[in-house]
Amino acid sequence: MSHCRKRCKRQLTKVARYFYRFLTGTLTQDSIEDDFELSTVCHRPEGLEKLQEQTKFTKKELQVLYRGFKNECPSGVVNEDTFKVIYSQFFPQGDSSTYAHFLFEAFDTNKNGSVSFEDFVIGLSIILRGTINDRLNWAFNLYDLNKDGCITKEEMLDIMKSIYDMMGKYTYPCMQEDAPREHVETFFQKMDRNNDGVVTIDEFIESCQKDENIMQSMQLFDNVI
Amino acid sequence: MAAGVAAWLPFARAAAIGWMPVASAPMPPPPRDKRHTRDELIILNVSGSRFQTWRNTLERYPDTLLGSTERDFFYHEETNEYFFDRDPDIFRHILNFYRTGKLHYPRHECISAYDEELAFFGIIPEIIGDCCYEEYKDRRRENAERIQDDEDNENGNDVTQLDLTIRQSMWRAFENPHTSTMALVFYYVTGFFIAVSVMANVVETVPCGTGSRAKEMSCGERYALAFFCLDTACVMIFTVEYLLRLIAAPSRYKFVKSVMSIIDVVAIMPYYIGLVMTDNEDVSGAFVTLRVFRVFRIFKFSRHSAGLRILGYTLKSCASELGFLLFSLTMAIIIFATVMFYAEKGSNSSKFTSIPAAFWYTIVTMTTLGYGDMVPKTIVGKVFGSICSLSGVLVIALPVPVIVSNFSRIYHQSQRAEKRRAQKKTRLARIRAAKSGGANAYLQYKRNGLLADAEEEASKEAGKALVCKVNPTFETQHHHLLHCLEKTTNHEFVDEQTYETSCMEVSMVKPSTSRSSSVSSSPHGLTSCCSRRNKRKSFNVPNSNMTAGRRGSVQELSTIQIRERPLSNSRSSLNAKFEETVPLNSEQQPYITAAIISMPTPPVTTPEGGDSASSPDFLQSNIVRVSAL
Repeated sequence: MSHCRKRCKRQLTKVARYFYRFLTGTLTQDSIEDDFELSTVCHRPEGLEKLQEQTKFTKKELQVLYRGFKNECPSGVVNEDTFKVIYSQFFPQGDSSTYAHFLFEAFDTNKNGSVSFEDFVIGLSIILRGTINDRLNWAFNLYDLNKDGCITKEEMLDIMKSIYDMMGKYTYPCMQEDAPREHVETFFQKMDRNNDGVVTIDEFIESCQKDENIMQSMQLFDNVI
Repeated sequence: MAAGVAAWLPFARAAAIGWMPVASAPMPPPPRDKRHTRDELIILNVSGSRFQTWRNTLERYPDTLLGSTERDFFYHEETNEYFFDRDPDIFRHILNFYRTGKLHYPRHECISAYDEELAFFGIIPEIIGDCCYEEYKDRRRENAERIQDDEDNENGNDVTQLDLTIRQSMWRAFENPHTSTMALVFYYVTGFFIAVSVMANVVETVPCGTGSRAKEMSCGERYALAFFCLDTACVMIFTVEYLLRLIAAPSRYKFVKSVMSIIDVVAIMPYYIGLVMTDNEDVSGAFVTLRVFRVFRIFKFSRHSAGLRILGYTLKSCASELGFLLFSLTMAIIIFATVMFYAEKGSNSSKFTSIPAAFWYTIVTMTTLGYGDMVPKTIVGKVFGSICSLSGVLVIALPVPVIVSNFSRIYHQSQRAEKRRAQKKTRLARIRAAKSGGANAYLQYKRNGLLADAEEEASKEAGKALVCKVNPTFETQHHHLLHCLEKTTNHEFVDEQTYETSCMEVSMVKPSTSRSSSVSSSPHGLTSCCSRRNKRKSFNVPNSNMTAGRRGSVQELSTIQIRERPLSNSRSSLNAKFEETVPLNSEQQPYITAAIISMPTPPVTTPEGGDSASSPDFLQSNIVRVSAL
């Protein structure tokens, strides 16, 4: 009741203020208040030496990476929307926003909604300069959406759908509705040793190590930078 | 893809790790990085301003000058940088394009200069960012209009008098009265008669005192015959003018469709219709209506007044604003008339008998006229009446600035066109002077001859020697080139007057020397002869040392005839010939004998007295020799 009255009062004062401004001709002042919403967050990464210790990149590589990073994100951090925009530039035919969202979750290790340069470069270091096991661990972390240590069929289905979404509509052969689901079934048949419906980290790493194709594809990342 | 995002490609490739474990087929082999060039700084020196950037930045756009191997052409070995002799201020924007992927247009720069720089660096202007695109397109359009205007004006005035037929010259006289006095007279006469006709129409209706019928008569009824004669005269002039224009028009159909011709027809038709129709009572009403159209004669003044034309053009171009004004006024009128009618319905003896009747009140009030023939009596009516008048001011005031700004723009455009036309004369004169300056320089050079000899410094007058020495390398090479062209075609460059006089003289000279020699190019010799002679005459002006008229025409012709005779190239005979006619230096002979195959070496200039006479002579004799062989 008092809540209702308080709200009424607030609306009335707003209307009265509006009329007052209408009569005195100062209506446009409303917009100034909105400006305080803008956050001028600017994040600076730690020193170059510290980053060199934390990652396996050389100084020059870190410099090149930072220059590219800063060009696109002058404020020093990437938020999810910018992340999605950047990633979508590489996949013009399909919709890469869901996969970009999962990636963002994977890079944002401290879960604060933004990816700083350190997070970015640490993630890249694992993928591009880490051991095969590190890479597999990182991939598992990407698939495990709720970070509970095991991948369920639903999580895998989400991931699979997001990957298939990136292909877009114009594919050959035509994209079937249940293609992701079938793919998930195949994946689980391969990975799920004990058939309990979930894939744990050990099952995952073990199965991947047994698969030649996967091992070979992991080597691709050695020469990206 | 935006340039900056290319830097994130490694990240995108790394993110592909998420696909690997779920892939159903093996991955393709990775591309081999053929060049692992370390990124290096490139120095771009643009007219002294040094710009530096990474090589990768430039190579983001490989189809521009800086991004491709084309920049190697500008590499300066000594300083290890790329040097461009261009505008550094505009280059700043071009380099920013590489850095940010967005091309901006600086507002204070000239559009042509900017376009040239873009074309030089191989950047297409269509990628200008949205922030600057509109401004860029506007400026470009204005520039194109200006160039088009200039071209039109030039083309319009390039037609020479000789080429026009009677019909075309008549049409030109009608369109531009300033071209001839006849046209000007015609122009003023028609203007006068338009004024007279309009005045007569006006005065016709003024009451002129009582006539025989003891009632107030208008002047038109009292002096009917006089006015009729005046009207007849005016209409005859207008008819003749219209027919003449119709005959002279290059496209009759287009002329008949044009606005001015319709005005002309409407102006003279009532008279003829009145002539044809009898004094029938039935049609006299229609006849009176037709007389109203006589007032359209006043629009014929628009041919005489540029301001009137601008006004008409403005109204045409503001048609949408005027339409909006009309529409909004109509809406407001209907609304307020309805309101006023219902407000005043209650009061008795109200003038607001119907909504259409209320329209009159609304219009008069909204335009703040306020005749007062209809006023609201109830309080509600008065309240709404005041709101009506306030809103009327607003509605009318809104589209007016748009119309005014349109008029101002068109007016300034016409002012600019006028100014350009006035300046065109000086501009053309300047261009012509520059062109003839170049030509004259060459002719002067030929007269003075070339030299690099110390001897002339002593023998020549200071003035001439100075002229030779001052010529930079470019000039001397250019003159040499022109000289070669002369030799190739066996003709010589002359200036305008000598050309014209020689044209007239060739016709005189030809019959006297009808030689049927083997010299097929004798006409060449003759024309060159005449031109030589006349050139000599014209050379009198710049070179005051020359004695005028050294050679009579007959003697000159005879010298040519003599020279054509000897088929032997012996120096002695040449010497003899030359000595007999022209006092030449012995130094000139090598020039003559060697002339046929090789390019002529610059002849040494002769002593001042014989200079201008001799050099044209032996140039001319040179020509003769070539043609004889």
